[in-house]
Amino acid sequence: MSERILKYTEALREATDQVMAQDSSVCVFGLGVTYKNGADGTTGGLKQKYPTRVFDTPVSEHAVTGMAVGSAISGMRPIVHHGRVEFSLLAADQMFTQAAKWNYMFGGNHPVPIVIRIAVGRQWGNGPQHTQSLYGMFGSVSGLKVVIPSSPRMAKGLLIAAVRDPNPVVILEPRWLYALKQHVPEGIYVENLGKAQVVQSGKDITLVSYGDGLVSAREALSIIGEKASVELIDLVSINPVDHETVIASVSKTKRLMVVDTTHASFGIGSEIIAGAAKAGVLSSAPVHLSCPDVPCPTSTALTEDYYPTKVIIATTILKAMGKAPIEQTLSFEELHLAPSITLP
Amino acid sequence: MHATLLKAYKKMFLIRAAEQKIADHYLRNKIMSFVHFYVGQEAVAVGVADSLGKSDKMLGNHRSHGHYLAKGGNMRAMMCELLGKEAGSSRGKGGSMHMIDTSVNFVGSTPILAGVVPLACGVAFEQKFYKRKNITVAFLGDGAFEEGVVYETLNLAGLFRLPLLLVVENNLFSVNSPLTDRRARGHDSKTIVEGFGAKYMRADGNNYRDVVKKASALTRYLRGGSGPAVLECVTYRHMAHSAPIFDESCRAEDAAEVRKAKDSIARLRRELIKSGISEKTIARTEKNIEQGVEKDLAYAIAAPLPKKETLFTDLYV
Ligand SMILES: Cc1ncc(C[n+]2csc(CCOP(=O)(O)OP(=O)(O)O)c2C)c(N)n1
Repeated sequence: MSERILKYTEALREATDQVMAQDSSVCVFGLGVTYKNGADGTTGGLKQKYPTRVFDTPVSEHAVTGMAVGSAISGMRPIVHHGRVEFSLLAADQMFTQAAKWNYMFGGNHPVPIVIRIAVGRQWGNGPQHTQSLYGMFGSVSGLKVVIPSSPRMAKGLLIAAVRDPNPVVILEPRWLYALKQHVPEGIYVENLGKAQVVQSGKDITLVSYGDGLVSAREALSIIGEKASVELIDLVSINPVDHETVIASVSKTKRLMVVDTTHASFGIGSEIIAGAAKAGVLSSAPVHLSCPDVPCPTSTALTEDYYPTKVIIATTILKAMGKAPIEQTLSFEELHLAPSITLP
Repeated sequence: MHATLLKAYKKMFLIRAAEQKIADHYLRNKIMSFVHFYVGQEAVAVGVADSLGKSDKMLGNHRSHGHYLAKGGNMRAMMCELLGKEAGSSRGKGGSMHMIDTSVNFVGSTPILAGVVPLACGVAFEQKFYKRKNITVAFLGDGAFEEGVVYETLNLAGLFRLPLLLVVENNLFSVNSPLTDRRARGHDSKTIVEGFGAKYMRADGNNYRDVVKKASALTRYLRGGSGPAVLECVTYRHMAHSAPIFDESCRAEDAAEVRKAKDSIARLRRELIKSGISEKTIARTEKNIEQGVEKDLAYAIAAPLPKKETLFTDLYV
């Protein structure tokens, strides 16, 4: 039997289809989710299959998200889609202050089983108001669970877990990964919402990343080959952060490097480094790769150096190990267009 | 009459020619900036701009090439911005969705829907605070008109009696979603706007003369200090939501033949010829405009990219 290879977007679509088939209280709300290629293909065809449960909405993020939160309070399991993180900010009150606080402020037993899917981050030509990641912001809100799927397989398993979870879960989907391909199991399965995963074990250095940064990190490891033994960790969840898995790894390797695809300040890397520092497991200064603390501009001449590339990641690891850097220039496509590679 | 109509025609034709040349370039070379074309809606931008003075202010949205050019924005700076060049109006940092030319009081455009509505209210607040005689116009689409902040702003601008004109370009769609999928039964913009005590008018956005007539009536009203107004212009977007490809699958009323039959530029051209301007004169004018646009695009293509260090400049003043 040949392997089932799905794109990241197809994996999200399949997960949604399967949870909708299983649970008739799952509804989907969002701009254009009823289109043939709805929500970048992640909701395509669902309207035909579940005509009364998939809703294209007015351009009213605050009210639409609030309506979904309200339906979740009443026991439904809505999935809301926001095409960019900036659009979701119009619903900040409903996400951060209403959904996230509801159960706690009423003393428990008041679940809000909503899933908010948000496309984030880099995409050519989108500039300062369409490419923010704002991971730190979502990570800092107590009461939300927040995950970042780094592959098609994770995307499907995390979305299914999110829908089944009785709490508000935000899935931050790096748009950069939408064309990635991977073998994805056909049946329904879940990935753990609050747990980091060791992608590859190694003994010289622990490399922590998530989402699009993790994909660049994977590629960096194939450039490095046998030159260093790297333990690669996919953080998966940024709320809560699974410090335990990271600390266990650094206890072994003694070295830590983190790759952020957002600003260094109040990014995720600083949180990971703080956790390892507090645990006292570092024997050298941790290394932090990230985007600069300026907005992402539009001109490709300026975005070229914005995100940490596989070459920079590989070179930085080798430097940390006291080895010679590698020389490799990336093509325009590699620098600016979303990768459509197939992951193992 | 001739002269003003001919002037308006030239401006509308300039916008169309620019968009068409950019679209051609996009299809051949891919422009690395998200582009939303204004083709089809030219009568709205030009009709509204022609009702304004130079010191009146204008703000726009994601689809603002036409607004910017109608207000007199610099063509080369716009082309350079689309191509991410150093000489762009935002030095390559913004791209197509961020038009600005403060020298002609085009204050800025941003793609976060309805974000400019309260911003424009603030610009109008400054005008009123300093007792200036000017007004502020913000362009938004029928989609953006569904954001709650529009209604907060109508109330606020009414409370402070601000000289704010919201121009709602109703092209029947938000991306590919028709109005009927997004509006409650009985939804009526006029009643809503008037419920805030604001003035409302509706114009045929495919007809320059109707737009300029109503926009002028409203700008006169605004200068009287009675508070905000809304001009809804019903029009057709000829291209896809973003990128130049024509997707016809979702169209209803605005099918290709209807768009062509009601096209504002063709209509004004016919009117000019009827009023006595020769076909030859118009054709010559059009050719001149097209050649100018080609030159500007060539200039932008050859223009240098921004220096890498500028990634770090401009965060703060
Ligand atoms: C707050 C926000 N939500 C969603 C979007 C995505 N979006 C960009 S343009 C667009 C359609 C807007 O339609 P309309 O306001 O009618 O303007 P048009 O594109 O028709 O000119 C949408 C939904 C956005 N840019 N901002």
